[in-house]
Amino acid sequence: MRRSRRPGDDAQAVLETALVIPILLFLICNFIAVMVQVTVQEQLNAATALAAQSRFQAPDNAIDPPGMECCGTGHGALVTAGLPTGCRYAAASFYGTMTTYTGLLHWQLATLCTSGGGSGNAGNPPAQPVAYAGSPSSADVSCDIGSITAGGGVVPGYTDRALNPPSGLDVVECSASASLDFANTPLAWGVFWTPTLHARAEALPPPFRQ
Amino acid sequence: MGGEFKGAVRPRRMPHARGGQALIEFAVVLPLFLLCLIGALDAGLWAVQTSAEVSAVEQGAMIASSAGSSPTSQTAPDARAVTAAISGRLRTALFGTNVESWCAPDAGGGCAPDAAQRCPSTPVEVQNADGPRVVVVCVSEADPPACTPPPRGRVAPFPPGCEDSPLITVRVVGFVASFVPPGFGPGAGAFELPTNISATTHTLRFAP
Repeated sequence: MRRSRRPGDDAQAVLETALVIPILLFLICNFIAVMVQVTVQEQLNAATALAAQSRFQAPDNAIDPPGMECCGTGHGALVTAGLPTGCRYAAASFYGTMTTYTGLLHWQLATLCTSGGGSGNAGNPPAQPVAYAGSPSSADVSCDIGSITAGGGVVPGYTDRALNPPSGLDVVECSASASLDFANTPLAWGVFWTPTLHARAEALPPPFRQ
Repeated sequence: MGGEFKGAVRPRRMPHARGGQALIEFAVVLPLFLLCLIGALDAGLWAVQTSAEVSAVEQGAMIASSAGSSPTSQTAPDARAVTAAISGRLRTALFGTNVESWCAPDAGGGCAPDAAQRCPSTPVEVQNADGPRVVVVCVSEADPPACTPPPRGRVAPFPPGCEDSPLITVRVVGFVASFVPPGFGPGAGAFELPTNISATTHTLRFAP
C-alpha cells in the first residue's frame, strides 16, 4: 500500500535544513578561523625571535647615521637615525618575516627601541623598559636592546632574572601584539571573536660578545 | 500457538516513493558531507604544513644569519647548505609535494644566494614554471649599496646603510598538496593550497 506524503513533511525538511546548514557553516568558519589564528601566532613567534636575534648581527656600538630609516610599514617608514643599528636590524627582520596575513592584523603600536626592562624576583621588582631617546613610537614591534647614555654609561637591555638567578642575564627582548580581525573576510559571517595575539622572544648575545 | 505471533511486527517493504526520496536525500547530503569532511581535513593539513614551513624558514634564516658567526668571517652564507637544511625538514611535513631548491649558480658551479632577486615571488609563478604540487625553497640576498665618498655636507658612511651586512630572505613558495587527489577537483589544482612563507634577517658580517 502506498503511503501518501503528509502536508507537513516538506515544511519539516525545509526547517531542518534551515537549522542545520547555518550551524554547519558556523562550525566550519570557526574551525578555519582557529587554524588561521594558530598559523599567524606561529609566524608572529618566528618574526619576534628573528628580530631579537638579529640585533646581534650589527656591531654593538654602531649608531645609524642621519637620514637612516627602515621598513615601509603601514604607518610610514621608521626613522632610525641616532638609534643603534641593531635596533633597525631587528625591525627589518620583523617586518621582513611578518609578510602574510598582515591585512587581518591590527597592531598595538609600540616604541621600537627601549632599554632597562627586566623581570623581577624576590629581591628585585620588575622593571619597565624606558623608550630609547628618539625612537619611533609607531612600530609594530618593540625591542629592549639597552642603550648608552650621554655620559657613556651603559644601560643594559632586558634583565631576565630567571636566567642565572638572582642577578640575571642581560638579553635582548622583543615583543609584539596584534588583534586578528576577520571582519573583511568571508569568515566574518560566522566568526564573532577577535583574538589578540602576543609574541615575545629573548636572545642571548653570541659567546664572543658575552 | 498461532497466538504467540499475534501482534508481532511484520517486516514491511519500503514503498517505492520513500526509497526514492531517501536516495535523493543521500545524493544531496553525501557531497555536502564530503565537502565538509575534506574541507576540515584540508584546513588541518594546511595548518600543520604552514607551521612546518614557518619553523623551517625561521631555522633557515638562523642558519643563514650565523653563516659568518666567527668574528673574522666575512663570507656570505652557503645557500646550498641553507636550502638543504630546510628541504630536508619540509619533505617530512609536505607529503605529496615536491620540494625543490632554487638557487643562483655561481661561477664555480656552487650555489650562491640570489642577489638579483629572481626567486619566484608568488605561488602562481612556481606553478607555471615547475608544475602543480611543487614548493620552491630559495635564499635571496639583498646587498647594501656600495659606499662612496660623501658629497659636501654629508658624512661618511655614504650612502646611509652602505656598511650594513647583507639582508637574507629565506622563502618557501608554491602550492602544497591537499587530501584531494589530482584530477578530482573542479579544475586543475583546484584544491591545492597556496603557500608563501618567508623569513628575513641580516647576516653577521662584522662582530666586534
